[in-house]
Formats: sequence, C-alpha cells, structure tokens
Amino acid sequence: MQKIWAIAVREYRAMVGTKAFLLSVTMMPILMLGSVVTVSMLKNSRSEDRKIAVIDQTGRIYAEIQKAVERRNSEIETPNTNDKTEDFGDTMASKLFLEPIAVDEVTDELRMQLSNQIREKQFYAFVEIPPEVIETTANQTAKIKYYSEDSGLSEVRAWFEEQLNEIVRNLRLLDADIDLAKVTAASQRVDIRGLGLMEKSSSGEVSADEKDAMSAIFLPMGVMMFMFMVIFLAAQPALESVLEEKSQRIAEVLLGSANPFQLMLGKLLGTVAGSLTVFGIYLIGGVLLAQNRGWTDLIPFHLVPWFITFQILGVMFYASVFMAVGASVTQLKEAQAFLLPVWMVMMIPFFVWFSVVREPNSTLAVGLSFFPPATPSMMVLRLATGQSIPLWQPLLGIVVCVLATLTTVFISARIFRAGLLWQGNMPKLSEIFRWALRG
Amino acid sequence: MAGMAHAIELDDVTKRFGTQTAVDRLELRVPEGSIYGFIGPNGSGKTTTLRMILRILQPDTGTVRVLGQIFGATADNRLGYLPEERGLYKRMRVYDLLAYFARLKGLRNSRPAIMQWLERLDAQQWARKRIDTLSKGMAQKIQFIAAVVAKPQLIVLDEPFSGLDPVNLESLHDAILELRNQGTTVVLSTHDMDIAERMCDTIFMIFKGQKVLDGSMDSIHRQYPANHIRVRLADGAAELPQVDGIHSIARIGRFIEFIISDEISSQNVLRQLAEQSSLTHFELVKPSLHDIFIHIARPNPDSQGTAT
Repeated sequence: MQKIWAIAVREYRAMVGTKAFLLSVTMMPILMLGSVVTVSMLKNSRSEDRKIAVIDQTGRIYAEIQKAVERRNSEIETPNTNDKTEDFGDTMASKLFLEPIAVDEVTDELRMQLSNQIREKQFYAFVEIPPEVIETTANQTAKIKYYSEDSGLSEVRAWFEEQLNEIVRNLRLLDADIDLAKVTAASQRVDIRGLGLMEKSSSGEVSADEKDAMSAIFLPMGVMMFMFMVIFLAAQPALESVLEEKSQRIAEVLLGSANPFQLMLGKLLGTVAGSLTVFGIYLIGGVLLAQNRGWTDLIPFHLVPWFITFQILGVMFYASVFMAVGASVTQLKEAQAFLLPVWMVMMIPFFVWFSVVREPNSTLAVGLSFFPPATPSMMVLRLATGQSIPLWQPLLGIVVCVLATLTTVFISARIFRAGLLWQGNMPKLSEIFRWALRG
Repeated sequence: MAGMAHAIELDDVTKRFGTQTAVDRLELRVPEGSIYGFIGPNGSGKTTTLRMILRILQPDTGTVRVLGQIFGATADNRLGYLPEERGLYKRMRVYDLLAYFARLKGLRNSRPAIMQWLERLDAQQWARKRIDTLSKGMAQKIQFIAAVVAKPQLIVLDEPFSGLDPVNLESLHDAILELRNQGTTVVLSTHDMDIAERMCDTIFMIFKGQKVLDGSMDSIHRQYPANHIRVRLADGAAELPQVDGIHSIARIGRFIEFIISDEISSQNVLRQLAEQSSLTHFELVKPSLHDIFIHIARPNPDSQGTAT
C-alpha cells in the first residue's frame, strides 16, 4: 500500500507539475470554446454594405422592397434588442442598397452583363422578378431569381425570400380585394413558451423554470465535452509517463521495486488525482466566471457528485487502456495506431449527443449509456438534460463502469507487465492479445 | 550446503522466450556476504538470470530462491538493483528521485542515507539538479545510490562501472567492497574481466544459457591450468626455437610466448628448449579471466561449453 501511495504521489506530481499540463489546462477550453466564441463574434460583427440590382418586371414590388430595405438598414444602425421579430443579431447583417434596372425584357445578355458587374464588385447580387409572380392563377410557376456569388448560403437571399413573399402575398390580397389588416391579424403567430416541470423551491414557491435553448442544448453538450476533456487531459499524460518509463528503462528499476499491479494502481490513482485537480480548477474557474457574469444559476451543481463519480471511473478506464498502449509501443508515434480505435470509441458521444439531448430516454441514449466506454460521458449528458432519468440507470451505469474498469485495469496490467520489458520492434497485435490472455 | 548460507539459490531453472531457450537448467549458489561476478557474452542469458533473481521474470521451470524465499512474487525490499541501462526520470531532481526509489523500497526517512551516499560519492552538490543535466558518469553514480540507498541485503549491479572515469570508478569500486565488508551480498555483472578478477570472490560464467564457470578464481585456475609459457633465451636468438606439441608461438618484446596443447607438459617444453639453447627465463603464466572467457566464448567448434 505504501508503495502504491508513493507511486501515486510521484505520478501526480509528474502530471500536474509540468508546463505542458498548465498549458493544456488553459488551452483546452480556449480551443473548445474558441470556435463557439469566434462564430458568435462573427455573427455580431457588421459586414460591409451591399448593392443589389433589382429588375422588377411587375412594376409594383420595387417600391415595397425599397421600404423593407430602409427598415432593415435603420434596424442595423440602431438595433432594437427588445424586438425579437426583427432580429439581425444572429445574422451577419449588412446594409443593403437597391438599384432598379428598368428593361422591357430580360435577356441572357443582360444577365451576363449584370453577372460580370457582380464579378467586378459593382453589385453584390441581382434579383429578377418576373411579371407574373403576383398573379394567382392555378398554374402559377413563376419564380423570382436571385443571382450572386454566394446564393446558396447568403443571408441576404434568405432575407429577400422572406420579404418578397410577404410583399407578393400582400399584393395578391390587395388584388383580390381582401382586407389586409384582417388577414394580418388572423395570421398572427402564437409562440410556445418552453417550461420545465413544476418544482417546489426551498422557500416553498412552486414554479417551473423557463427552458431555453441554452440550458436545453448547450448545457448538456458542455457537460459532455467537459467530461471528455478531463478524461483526455488525464489519459494522455498517463500514456506519456508509461512511455517514458519504458524508453528510459526506468520500468526495470520500478519492477524491481514494485509489482506491475502496484505500479499500475499507483499510477492510476495519481492520474485520477490529477484529473480531479483539473476538474477542481475548472469548477472554481467556472464559478468565478459565472459569478462575474451573473450566470450562477446556469451551473448545474446537482450534477457535480455524478460527474465526479463518472469522471473517476472514466479516467480509470481510459488511463488504464492508454497505459497498456504506452507499454506496448516504444514511441509516441506508434501509439497513435493503437489509439485510433480507442479514440473512435471515445468520440461516440460526439456523434450522437444531439439526438440524445432531444430524447435522453430513447433506446439509443439508454443503450449507449450502458456501453462502458461511453457510459461516463453519456450518463452525464443525459443527466444534464434535466429530464427525468430513472435513478436506477445512473446507478447501474456506475456498476457497469466499475466492472468494466476492473476488467480493463486487470487486462491492461498484464499487457503493461509484459510490454514494459519488451524492447525493439513494435509487438504484433497477436502478441499483445497473448499478453492480455496469459499475462 | 550445511554451514554456508546462500543469498541466492537457483535450482534447475529454465526460461524460454518463444522457441529460444535463454536459460537452460541453471544451478546457482551465491554465498551470503560475497561479491559474485556474473560474466558471459551478450545474449548468453545473463540479464534473464538477473531478472529472474529480481522477480521481474518468472522461470518456466525450476526454483529461484532469493534470501530464503522461493515465491517472492512481489519485488523484495531487501534487494537493490542497478540496471545496465540508466533508468532515471529525466525531469526529476536528484534528491527527489532518490527519495522516491528509497520509498519504493520501503525506506521512509531516507534523507540521512541519501545525503550520506551523495557525500560518499562526492555528489552532494547535485542534490537539487535535474537528472537531465547530469553527465553520464554522474547519472551512473546516482543510479548506483538509488540501488543501495535502502540498505539492501542483496544488490544486483549490472555493469556498474560503464561510463565512469578512473577516479569515479575507484570510488565506486571502494564503495562496493565496503558494502560487501558490511555483509551485503553483491551480484556484479560485467564485461570487464579485469574488474571481475580483481573484485569478485566467485566468478560465474553463463554461455548460451548454461553455466560454464562457477567458482573462486583459484578453482577456475585449477580448472584451466596454465598453458601459457613465457621464455627468454640467453643469446636472444634471431630464430624461433622448434618445439613440438604447441598451439602457437610468438615473439613478444624480448620474450617468446608459447601456448602449449593439453597433451604436452610444460616440463617437456622446457626439455625441448634446453636442448636447443640456454634459457635465462622460464615462466608458466596463469591464464587471465579474459583468456578463459575468450577461450570459452570464441566462435570455435572445439571450444568448451558449447551447448549442442
């Protein structure tokens, strides 16, 4: 026991006391959140003004669309955050300027000419509105055409589509002599407000939390990514440490002082302690940030005990696999080949998380959360959705995980023992299986 | 074996790796409190034997009894080990590393022992240095301290002198002799025959997995009688004398050296020489361990000890 403890302490110090550790602890969230932040920053940034040529063959639409453009432009200049219906906050909003093109007939020549002008950046796009779009005959097939270099993804095209549809609809109603105001009133949208279940708070108040996309999607996803991160940040150093002991021939000295199981267990304990340190750092950092920003409500404190439990199991599971890999190879480069399948299993939750968040009690979600390599992240993902998960499931998840971890640690320790003394060429996979089976 | 305690006893020990037999039915007795020299060419089963003694490897058949225990599955705290290749954490500091290895051997308060050893080997100023800043010789000394710091009853030293300059070699040499005098059993594996001959009470040679030599230098000399004759002729004859029954003859400086075959006695050679010229010097030279090693291990079909 004393030996295990000594090994654990050294392992912990070696893991936590390096610059690489500090660097990865700080870089990991930056990398992971980086993309989210970048996208939202881009969304909020205003892009350049855009000039659009409009060929309005109906002669009635241009004036209306011009009004819509003016509304849009003033909205961008003085954003009205309270008004959700005209929200450009989540788009790359650019001011638009229209230029009417008056022609009797639209020829391919004209289209070509305008296209070239777009290429020369004189215009951003041109819109071709055929004369018959306002007609309401049964075989109405006329389409408005929008030409630009980025039509497929263009926010401007989407905006035009919405605006033009409304304008065309209004004009059609006008032509049919229908009271526009009545139709508008009748087609008013009804919003559905998403709420959680009624709960009695500690002060005896009965209420239900408002569920928005933030807590419904990003919280579970964040919790799952966090789980992935703490496991990864622990498993990788474990592999490197075994590799060092092997390549520096320290393993021989160690095996002369402790048996492989003591060695492995000590290293695992040190790794778990290191991973809990990572968790602690992030938890404290997260709480401080939340307090600073007033998001304290968003931190799911009730998940912490579950998270820690599954984190410990996940770290033990993956760190032992990584150690077995480290013991089987002689270079980090070779380790990648063995780690590929491990990585793929580790990534499973990333492929299914969205459908699991929407239906955390679906067969897929429940099934995967009992697949040991995925259990830690799947269970916390499901628990973080806030939907009711039967208590027996996470408890059984723990049991499954403990059994799988014990098996993995046992097999890994055998590979570890045989691999540590193996020098020279990379062992064949069959050789490693032999170690696993026979020890 | 009454009256004599053995630190290590190997009985009929065989170890195979796949189809290759690394150690073949080995018998070994290492007396307590002695320096026991392990010699043998590379790949002859030396390291495998050492690893079995250390319980890093388990024999396929036979028993390995170390310090009285046959089933010592766990690494024994009474054993110290210095591996052939440096096995030190590069990023640890010397003191921390030694304290760690001492702790792994069950020594809790290791500070006095560490400081004493660092001083003994003139390395106390290195205590706070990181291992990767040490020279090869320094690292070797640290590795040695790591092996002995927990006061083991038995230490296994695999090439302890490699990379050491003569001064450091001498201090390590003295340290090992001192350990022996304090009652520690030392197993010393080396390729340096001179050191083995000088330091070891008993020499054990393994070749192709089998024991080919085992005993004191005296008993080995009895086993390998002098077949080396060094003479000096009075007239400093330009021509080499004609002698029957010799393997080789060579002029070395002012001496002429013969290696005689087993069938002929040195007296016979002396008689033949005396008939040809007058002798001023006639000496029977004992074969050195080096000579014996080469004699056994050279790739020669009639060489002794070949396992067939």
